[in-house]
Amino acid sequence: MNMRDRVLTTLDHQEPDAVPVTECAIDPPHLEALTGLKLTGETSIQTPVSANRKDEMAAIEITYQCYKRLGFELIPCELSAPDDWDAVKNPDGTITDEWGRILRYTPVTRTWSPFRSMLHTPEDLERFPLPDPEASGRLFGIEQMKKLAKDDFALAVFVRDPFAHVWEMCTPDNFVRWLYQNPNLVRKTIETLADFNVTIMKRLREIQVDLVISGGDYSEKNGPMVSPRFFREVIFPNLERQVEETHRLGVKFIKHSDGNLNPLLPDLAEIVDGLHSLDPTADMDIGGIKARYGARLVLMGNVAVDNLCRGTPDDVIEETKDCLRRAAPGGGYILTSSNSWFADAKLENCLAMVEAARKYGKYPIQLT
Amino acid sequence: MNARPESWEFLSRNDRATPERKPMSQKQTTLRAVTEAFADVLGPEEAERCVHLALKNSASPTEIIQSLRDGVEVVGQKYHAQEYFLSELIMAGLMCEQAVAILRPALASSSTSMVGRVVIGTVRGDIHDIGKKLVSTMLMSAGFDMVDIGVDVGPDEFVEAARKHSPMILAMSCLLTNAMDEMSLVSKTLEKAGLRTSLKVLVGGRPINENFAKEIGADGYGADAVEAVKSAKSLLS
Repeated sequence: MNMRDRVLTTLDHQEPDAVPVTECAIDPPHLEALTGLKLTGETSIQTPVSANRKDEMAAIEITYQCYKRLGFELIPCELSAPDDWDAVKNPDGTITDEWGRILRYTPVTRTWSPFRSMLHTPEDLERFPLPDPEASGRLFGIEQMKKLAKDDFALAVFVRDPFAHVWEMCTPDNFVRWLYQNPNLVRKTIETLADFNVTIMKRLREIQVDLVISGGDYSEKNGPMVSPRFFREVIFPNLERQVEETHRLGVKFIKHSDGNLNPLLPDLAEIVDGLHSLDPTADMDIGGIKARYGARLVLMGNVAVDNLCRGTPDDVIEETKDCLRRAAPGGGYILTSSNSWFADAKLENCLAMVEAARKYGKYPIQLT
Repeated sequence: MNARPESWEFLSRNDRATPERKPMSQKQTTLRAVTEAFADVLGPEEAERCVHLALKNSASPTEIIQSLRDGVEVVGQKYHAQEYFLSELIMAGLMCEQAVAILRPALASSSTSMVGRVVIGTVRGDIHDIGKKLVSTMLMSAGFDMVDIGVDVGPDEFVEAARKHSPMILAMSCLLTNAMDEMSLVSKTLEKAGLRTSLKVLVGGRPINENFAKEIGADGYGADAVEAVKSAKSLLS
């Protein structure tokens, strides 16, 4: 069974020969350490920060080489910035992305992260020219990764969840303030960003991808960020539209979210095909979710990132075994960390996770 | 009091049964309206209206702040019970800012004493603001005098702020695991500067737990904004 087939069998809720392993992102210091290659450009795991195709190709190549070396069966890839776009460079050293988010460089991770917004009023949001999903070059990175991955690896395309995107574009304070002042504006913006994703999914017919993963959080540690009612009335109908369009491609749709998703699980199980991250520090019990929703949802998770950063290889091996024991039987399970390999995750811990997965993840699972 | 505006329809409703009430003075009625506006998270405009009405009916700034605290306490309880969500906590924080902005001049000229001063910041390497800001507004509503020194704050900046503002509590927040060690570094830098015994250290944030707080010698830990307020109060008791 090749690596792509292993993932496809898993997505069909069957047991392949072994549990697939991957990460939704790996920070640049680890990519370089694992491949011996150097990243030339600037990156962000949340948004394109440049349309310099030479740098983007270097990032795609290093990601591919890293995943290949680790034997990760599923490779993530992202939308690109349009051909003629460039990030706005602000005088204070920050940059502004296509979505009006202001990003600051984090030296430890060597990535750009959003921390502010150029949208200060509802009128700013109303007037803001939202990016064009049809723009030339938008699928550049996905096309290039597909050329490298061929049919040997499964390919996952990351899109940004419309709710999480608007939450970040506005900043949380203004999202809540404007939801109070002008709920239709917030609703309309979420719908427009869902339209953006639906158009992207239509365009993905040009490339054979194997999975769509929707990034962006719905919850924090205590529970959903807004009321379940808002989810049901605004967020989920838009999520359904994206899932339906993804299914027209013959591809499954997995929702990523950190935090405590438990109050939303019954709804999500009816809408999406799987969940990623399942943060164990936010009360997400992978065994319990497998028991309740395993027949419906593919699960991706959930070796705690805190353990990767602060634990020992033995801690990580035990946790990996525990994940396999509770989530792997019956298929429908891809082992990942509970978010991604952060720059300060100890590499020896990350590799211990992979080794344990390879050792104990062969079907039928023998762990008791 | 006003019903929750239609525009707030997506947020959680607070359909509490109204208890039987004893006859109240006009002042008491307006103070109760302040509490209910906060408990029901009716928004900054309603907070402003209720505070002005209470002032007009001879309520003192201290009485209004106490009414506001009572309302915010309900918000915290409902948040823990998953009847309210992060959006309600954020809105309660915005309402507190609005109310305090109105009351600040009167508070400055009155004999109202704050519970204590807190310097708060997100540690170096982390630019996440929301958790820290929530803790800050919740502590402010609980009567603490807050000095928010922002995000990505290094140990020397914490020390400088501690020297400048002489807080009773220095609170640190982080969301990223990679920023946790910074908390330990700040604690050691405070010690080297001879400031560690003159203030209490309070920590919190997504990756932080009680064991880690003990490990780095922090005096208190808050699992979330509501717990942080309880912890801060107990540190000063």
